[in-house]
Amino acid sequence: MRKNLTGYLFISPWLIGFFVFTLGPFISSIWLSFTRWDIVSSPMWVGAANYRALLTNDDLFWKSLGITLKYAVLAVPLAVVIGVLLALLLNSKIRGIAVYRTILFLPSIVPAVASSVVFVWILNPQIGLINGLLKRLGVIGPAWLSDTKWAFSSLVFMSLWGVGGSMVIYLAGLKDIPVYLYEAALVDGAGPLLRMRKITLPMLTPVIFFNLVMGVIGAFQYFTQAFIMTNGGPEESTTFYALYLFNRAWRYMDMGYASAMAWILFLIVVVITALLFRTQRKWVHYGG
Amino acid sequence: MDERASINFGRILTGVIVLFVVAFWGAQIQEQHRHVARKKVRFWHMWTAEWKDVVDKIVDRFNKSQDEYEVEALSVPGSGSDSKFILGVMGGDPPDVMAQWNPIIPPWADDHLLTPLDDLMTPAEKKAFDDQAYPVVKKIGMYRGHLYGMSIGINMSALYYLPKQLRDAGIDPDHLPATLEGLAKIGERLDRFDSQRNLTHLGWGPATFSEFAPLFGGGLYEWQNGKMTIVTPQNLAALQYLAGIRKKLGYDNVVRYNAGLDMNSASGGWPFIDGAMSITIDGQWRVEQLRKYAPTLEYRTAPVPPAAGGPTLAGVSNGNFMIVPSGAKDPIGAWAFIKFWSGLTDPDTAAEFYTWGGWLPLTPAIAQAPIYKAYLKKYPQFQTFVDLMPSKTISVLPPVPYQEFLSDQIGKMEDSALRGTKTPEQALNGLLFAVDHEISRRKELGYDR
Repeated sequence: MRKNLTGYLFISPWLIGFFVFTLGPFISSIWLSFTRWDIVSSPMWVGAANYRALLTNDDLFWKSLGITLKYAVLAVPLAVVIGVLLALLLNSKIRGIAVYRTILFLPSIVPAVASSVVFVWILNPQIGLINGLLKRLGVIGPAWLSDTKWAFSSLVFMSLWGVGGSMVIYLAGLKDIPVYLYEAALVDGAGPLLRMRKITLPMLTPVIFFNLVMGVIGAFQYFTQAFIMTNGGPEESTTFYALYLFNRAWRYMDMGYASAMAWILFLIVVVITALLFRTQRKWVHYGG
Repeated sequence: MDERASINFGRILTGVIVLFVVAFWGAQIQEQHRHVARKKVRFWHMWTAEWKDVVDKIVDRFNKSQDEYEVEALSVPGSGSDSKFILGVMGGDPPDVMAQWNPIIPPWADDHLLTPLDDLMTPAEKKAFDDQAYPVVKKIGMYRGHLYGMSIGINMSALYYLPKQLRDAGIDPDHLPATLEGLAKIGERLDRFDSQRNLTHLGWGPATFSEFAPLFGGGLYEWQNGKMTIVTPQNLAALQYLAGIRKKLGYDNVVRYNAGLDMNSASGGWPFIDGAMSITIDGQWRVEQLRKYAPTLEYRTAPVPPAAGGPTLAGVSNGNFMIVPSGAKDPIGAWAFIKFWSGLTDPDTAAEFYTWGGWLPLTPAIAQAPIYKAYLKKYPQFQTFVDLMPSKTISVLPPVPYQEFLSDQIGKMEDSALRGTKTPEQALNGLLFAVDHEISRRKELGYDR
């Protein structure tokens, strides 16, 4: 008994943190979503009014949800494709491969705030790196973050900056594919493309599935870059769901309403994740 | 349980206790202050760097001026200051006084986070404030008939212009146009474009609807009956003026031009110093900035002229003000400090503080103090801003409980009109729609009953 106690004492910082800062708020937010709460005064029960107002009387709620969905649909598959391609490239046995891997992985460990600030400069229409390069090619680049037509795409483009994180997982997945499968395919006369289609990709699907699920969940929580680089603008074109939720909670002090938003988001993520899990039977191949 | 595990458990427990003791002892050491016998007044503010030095100087002066209180100043980073304040009040450990500049009075007063300052004032002090404070000072600090914020430095905007550039373009800098329309015309003469029609120099590039609406006789709030006024002919004219100039310059042109400039630079990087724009509109703090970073620059200031038929000396203001939270442990000490800094009862002493920060005064008595007059003589450009203080047509952000929301919506409205994605009329109607929607949403949820 005392031995157990010692163990619990060791993990108590985490346990306390989890109960106080994660599980507690998580559960209380269910109740809060049915209240009017400005953080300061006591929460007042309003029934389903927050949910009703969100679904029927808040255009920005729908708009931000649409923007987030669009981001998930575009950025997540793009990250999967680029991540797999990079992993395939870095799976080759060439001199200095460890250096290339490190270079491509490094951006993913740069804090999001720091990389966002750097990208604000890179995408500056007048003195930015991208438009500077385009100018050399005779192309006048757009005002990336200030133009409604480009701001959203710029953030999607920037999301590739962190693709090194998933790339490493794909690389590990590639290393895990048994060599005898390729040897057997070679004996059967399969070319590189066929080996890729019939062995590499199917064997990589568990890893792709993992990154897809994590990517979708991450996309629905997309916040930092939009908060720092565009603050939802121009003309609300980058008002992501989490950014709007943050504004409602911490700027407009509408915590009950924001809790309702958080729960709707949670349900959406649960449903989409469940759907992804249902589809995996058809395309994810486990076992070697 | 064997003996070894028991010893380990004892060691861990001892370690934890030692850690707590050290942390507690350290905190105690930190909390020690210089004058132990005095009552401690905890003061939070958001200034940093050289501004913090000014604040520390004022605090030091207060601590030396009396022997009852000791003010302890703490610089709280601006981004987290509001939530820290709220959590402090809720947790029963707020500061005694805080210097603010965010639009927080209506929502925080409604939430009972603030102590009405009139509760702390003597009748004589209340009368002095009512009789002497400039109109804009009252507008900023008052909410629902109570004073919640005492100004310690109002911000005003005026024109800054470079006479040399005007002369070079054949414009007499001694006779600026008397109307905004006239200003737009000379602005066109000062604009410069390259062969591909890219803007290379900005003559006059006005922005911010809130600043210009009062110059057309408009504004978003009717102070007499406390109502929002959004879609009015005056507001429409103001937005049309701004959108018209932007359209002529080209929206993309202005965005690109501004993107290369650090418009918010608080040092020598302000583009006006390098002559990137001939005429611009900015706050009084630039006088101090120019003194430090461009002492030889020839520049002038002037009130922004009204639109044809509009009121003179109109505009918009915000500023720094002191608040006392609910649950402050020593509100009386806090009020003593506020009085000292603001100069409500001793304008001659406080006038010096206003010159240290390049701040605008609370009352005419401060403006008339010898030290402040000497400052104005040394920096005549500052006089333009002081002259705006008595104006009754200087507006502030409407005192509604959804100020942050409103502020965001005004920005969006202006943005869409200046981009040309909406006509000024559509943009104003959009703002009206958003505000009405928010009001009805808040009513449905039981706020603002």
